[in-house]
Amino acid sequence: MTQIKYMLLVSRQGKVRLMRWYSAYDSKGKSKISRELATMVLARKAKMCNILEYQDHKVVYKRYASLYFICGISSDSDNELLTLEVIHRYVEAMDSYFNNVCELDIIFNFTKAYEILNEVLVCDGSMTETSKQAILRSVMTMDSLETSDSLDQVLS
Amino acid sequence: MGSLRSFIKDVRAAKTLAEERSIVTKESARIRTKLKDDHLPQEKRRKNIHKLLYLHILGEKTHFAQVECINLIASEDFRDKRLGYLAAMILLDENQEILTLLTNMLNNDLNHPNRYVVSLALSTLGSLMSPELARDLYSDVENILAHSKDDFLVKKALQCAAKLIQKDTSLVEVFFPYINSRLVSNQQSSHGVLLGVAKLCQAAITAKEKYEYDNYPEILQSMVQSIPEFFALLQDMNFTSFNPEYDVGGTCDPFLQVELLYTIRLLFELAPQETESYKDKLNDLLTKIATNSDGAKNSAHAVLYECVRTIFALQLDQSLKVLGVNVLAKFLSGKDNNTKYVALNTLLHVVPQEPQAVQKHRKFISKCLFDPDISIKTRAVELTFAILNDSNIKELIEELTAFLKLTSEDDKDLATYVVEHMIGLFEQYKLGDEKWALEATVNILMIVGEHISLERLSDILIMINNARDLDHKIQVIRRILDVSFAKSGESVSSANLGWKLVSAWCIGEYGDTLLESNIYLDTELTGYLRTLDGLYSDDCKIIGYVLTAALKLSSRLQNPSCIEELRQVIKGHNKDTNLMIQTKSVQYGILFNLPAKEKHDILGAMPLFEKKPKSGAAPAARPKFGTKPQEPDLLLELLDDDYPKKSTTSNAAGSLLDIFGSAPQSSAKPENGKGNDTAGLTQNLMTIPKDAPEAFRSTDLDVHMKLKSLNDYEAHVEMFIHANASINSLQVLAAVSKSKKLTLGSLSASTLAPRENCRQEMIITGGGKPKLRIKLTFNTGSPSITKTEQFDYKFDQ
Repeated sequence: MTQIKYMLLVSRQGKVRLMRWYSAYDSKGKSKISRELATMVLARKAKMCNILEYQDHKVVYKRYASLYFICGISSDSDNELLTLEVIHRYVEAMDSYFNNVCELDIIFNFTKAYEILNEVLVCDGSMTETSKQAILRSVMTMDSLETSDSLDQVLS
Repeated sequence: MGSLRSFIKDVRAAKTLAEERSIVTKESARIRTKLKDDHLPQEKRRKNIHKLLYLHILGEKTHFAQVECINLIASEDFRDKRLGYLAAMILLDENQEILTLLTNMLNNDLNHPNRYVVSLALSTLGSLMSPELARDLYSDVENILAHSKDDFLVKKALQCAAKLIQKDTSLVEVFFPYINSRLVSNQQSSHGVLLGVAKLCQAAITAKEKYEYDNYPEILQSMVQSIPEFFALLQDMNFTSFNPEYDVGGTCDPFLQVELLYTIRLLFELAPQETESYKDKLNDLLTKIATNSDGAKNSAHAVLYECVRTIFALQLDQSLKVLGVNVLAKFLSGKDNNTKYVALNTLLHVVPQEPQAVQKHRKFISKCLFDPDISIKTRAVELTFAILNDSNIKELIEELTAFLKLTSEDDKDLATYVVEHMIGLFEQYKLGDEKWALEATVNILMIVGEHISLERLSDILIMINNARDLDHKIQVIRRILDVSFAKSGESVSSANLGWKLVSAWCIGEYGDTLLESNIYLDTELTGYLRTLDGLYSDDCKIIGYVLTAALKLSSRLQNPSCIEELRQVIKGHNKDTNLMIQTKSVQYGILFNLPAKEKHDILGAMPLFEKKPKSGAAPAARPKFGTKPQEPDLLLELLDDDYPKKSTTSNAAGSLLDIFGSAPQSSAKPENGKGNDTAGLTQNLMTIPKDAPEAFRSTDLDVHMKLKSLNDYEAHVEMFIHANASINSLQVLAAVSKSKKLTLGSLSASTLAPRENCRQEMIITGGGKPKLRIKLTFNTGSPSITKTEQFDYKFDQ
């Protein structure tokens, strides 16, 4: 079962590039988690496994170029290997959307990154769509709705 | 005010942290002022929210923008709505009162003609669900499930329904019919919908505990009926269809497969009887999947891993379990560290079920001990301890010793954990080969003596003390001292305090034997103690042992100058700032000056030392690495005659006790005395007397207390436990105030079916009205969990 507690995107310098919380944490807890995990994950060597035990749950992370994708998952129900695939699916979707995504794309278009993520994970971090095409289709249609809306306004 | 892009650029261009902070706070303040302006054009409003979202990523406070999110959602412009909902999902959370403002808007948008607006509203409702929102809006979600033919909306509505059930379990009744209807009508179509169905089913299953109405069996029956559909889907994904849209590295939609397997597992766990008829089919299917998918990709492994978890969670057939262990072994032998990690982790849970099958793959497990990755090492260590038994203890200990040799400063915690457990093992497994055990211990001590706790060190000392073969014992001691005196090729680091401590003890205890056999000179032994005294003068543990050794050695020597040196060592500490050392030094000073005969009697060799095993420290209860040892319960400490005291040798003062050979742990066993007369009663016949008032009530059990007799010095109390659920491994702990003494009889039964009773007798000596603190620990439920209940009770009469 996928029930991701949070997804953090952290740069190699330890800067948070995106964060989405699917379980309720207070702001203190949030900043503690993002600070501690950034240090822990950045300190790990490339060959080490991508699963950590942290607080009362597990953390699965994966590095893509200069960005680390970090997910908190529940210890017993979540499938650690599948979480890696969830991350990968999200990265693939962004890659197609931005056409070779890089860290800068995400920095400047973080709302798009959020919107793509919203088509992959919903509610308490469960996966709602596995087809990359379907994900992209809905994000792009909504993009076009935005532009047609602004067109309407100009015409009226 | 600049654009979002220029704001981001400014933040990134900041050279120092202080500069960045000043840009951020200025912008944040500016937005705050702007938000107060009611006549701001929509475009500017969007820009503000964009910037706030960026501030949120930077970890800034954004609470002041919550109302603005709602303003945007209220707009009819799709751009505003989209951004408004996104911001609401990110900046708001379930606990905020502001959610009530959202109710109306969500209600409108869930019925909006534009499917994308509906989808945004569904996602937002799913993220921000509160019980109030669930109550007000569930009918809108149901409406979509009942009428919509749009997969895009249905998949989100299903997820949303699952979340609704989590917030309000009574909604199971409303939503469960959609599991079957959506499953049948959507076959071969969108996997998104199927994921939603699985999620809804899982939510309905987990809601059972809290569901209050009595029609759950019907709901369960309906869900059980969907099992064949789930099987068919899995079968189809694995063996028939190839759909490039859902393919992940050669595996068809691992996400859906895992989700379905997990749902099936939950259903089988919840309803073992109702699903019995599907068990064979499940066995078949899992066997097929596990043997068929031999992909080396992570996606294939994810599915295999879920199959294995299902096999062991449901305790399926023996052949499947063996297959499961083999799959895990394959994971272990692979190159991928993640699969290795999950395999070790799963094997750890599997060992109790399938010890033999796991043993077979010991080689791979041992190999993982030397993995560079600490997570894998930790798991491998835990697993090694878990598979250890009488037949392989020697080999495994040798492997662990090799592991310790290679540990670095980073793995200090892990090394400590290993050492603590290894030394415990020597006691737990009565090894036939005492010599081997002793030598192995010395090896460990040499490698990681600095990580060994004082308590474990005293275990080592006991081991040396109790060694039966004298010649071998002396050999071992010679080896230890040769290293300490730098007479052999081996050497230990100066940080290895454990080693020094053991050396000092050996000199004190066996000084005479060593001198008689002319192995060492008396000046060498004395000199070593003096060096230790000088080097570690502020380490009270070592000094404690050095003082004892000096005292003991002094009675075993003839050379007056050596004796004088030892006297100086002891005397040197009689003004020590550490009170314990000071006391010891003064007391030893007195002993030192006793006549030789008396002194010799007191300081004679230690007798065989019996260590009382700690109750409850069964081998299975091995704590996991990283969990702290349980703090001794205050309650248990009150119960001083029922709980073995912590070995007093764990503090430096304890070595005084060592000298006198008194075993500090030989405290009296609890008397079972009068409790035994209840043993003849069968638990089913036992009834609770009417005059026993209720003392405590919980969902699992009720407790009644009765005062059987009370006189000036003793009260006889009966406690009755009535089970409301099935309970096993019940344990009763009781404590009374310190002025009194408690004798706990035996519990008439520790396993109770619902509505059965059991009895516990207690005798409280000390007079007065008894006042008790009772603590009950027991396992209940399926899967069984351990619960603890505690309450105080006072007799009023």
